[in-house]
Amino acid sequence: MEGVLSHTTTTAQWAEGLRRNDPKTLSSLYTRHFPTVCNYVQQNNGSEDDARDVFQESMVVLWLSVKEGRIVPEADPGGFIFRVAKNKWLDVLRSAAHRNMKVVQSERIVDPTDVVDADIEERIVRLRGVYDKLDDKCRQVLDQFYYERKDLATIATGMGVEEESIRTIKYRCMMKLRAFRKAIRGEEERQG
Amino acid sequence: MMNGMLDRDTFEAIEAYVLGTMPALERERFEERLRTDADLLAEVEQQTEHIRAVELGGLQRALKDIGRQQAAPAPGRSWMPYLKVAAAVAVVLCAALWYLNRPTTGERLYAAHYQPDPGLPVAMSATDDQAFQDAMVAYKLGDHAEAKAKWSTLLKDRPKSDTLRYYTAMAALGAGEFGAAIPVLDDVAHERTSPFASKAAWYLFLACTHEGDTARANAIHFDPADPHAAEAAAIQQAWR
Repeated sequence: MEGVLSHTTTTAQWAEGLRRNDPKTLSSLYTRHFPTVCNYVQQNNGSEDDARDVFQESMVVLWLSVKEGRIVPEADPGGFIFRVAKNKWLDVLRSAAHRNMKVVQSERIVDPTDVVDADIEERIVRLRGVYDKLDDKCRQVLDQFYYERKDLATIATGMGVEEESIRTIKYRCMMKLRAFRKAIRGEEERQG
Repeated sequence: MMNGMLDRDTFEAIEAYVLGTMPALERERFEERLRTDADLLAEVEQQTEHIRAVELGGLQRALKDIGRQQAAPAPGRSWMPYLKVAAAVAVVLCAALWYLNRPTTGERLYAAHYQPDPGLPVAMSATDDQAFQDAMVAYKLGDHAEAKAKWSTLLKDRPKSDTLRYYTAMAALGAGEFGAAIPVLDDVAHERTSPFASKAAWYLFLACTHEGDTARANAIHFDPADPHAAEAAAIQQAWR
């Protein structure tokens, strides 16, 4: 199988990079695979902005699939991204706004992993719902710690506060999320 | 799921387990507990989901950033002459705007000497005076308007608290609301027994300097041992 990233030697490295939220891996995957998706979308009545939207959504599906061990790391990410992006764009084309447009390739790519994709999509919606509950201040601290994997001292220095304050802010933000989820669960139990 | 608050030690243990940063031996013990403690297992599952949600938010931001960088068109050669003219016009306009809106002497001195109070360390307890701590978090993160609003609400119940009054004034200064900060600082500066009196006097001096009220600024006397005495004298000298 062809190496996926120019700076890596094995195909599994792109998956490891995604698991670590490595910015270089993300950027390499974007640079390498976006043109194919863009080409397809533009041939089918879409703009470059449309292509970016479906490509980024497809990257999210790839990322979560890797994080949760739903695809084998040896799989070709280019093929995966293209299949998800194509199906997403075909869904857009079927929407009311695009009913009258001519579609060059309209067949949906059927794949045994489509069932997994549907499950992943639901999970992404659910996770976005959780993230939406965080205010900007919490996102600022939590993003740096959990996504960028910066240590507390680095975050504290960057924000001009004490390390202990960042540690407390992180704890309090996560407890707010926990309290919110608890309230939702209580509400569901009362209704159900 | 555990009822009530999750203490910080347990939260951080779960976090280390989920992030894979827990030492091997500790991890073994933790997994042993997970086999018999359904509440702890539920907490681990929930925290895994919360961390994943935060990571997803970060990923979407990162993807948008990469998309924006790649979409930005590089300026073509043929646009260069127009860009040069546009840049020259922009420089002239900026210079004119700066001249019209240039800072006053007081504003310049204030900008040169003002260092925001770093605030108090945010306490570990999530229940101890939570409203005050929430405001302190906002203040530390530069959200001065929110901090001021929260502390002002608390001040209604505790109008004599010098801590609340001082930090309300600090938030007002941070928000550029000098008119709101000055009377509060004046009050605290005159309470000689308050641990905030000296700092309040210094910030009052700076706020009056910003507003060009040299008479009021000069009326504030600094003890020679005060850490700000020399700086205040230098500002007074600059006014002359």
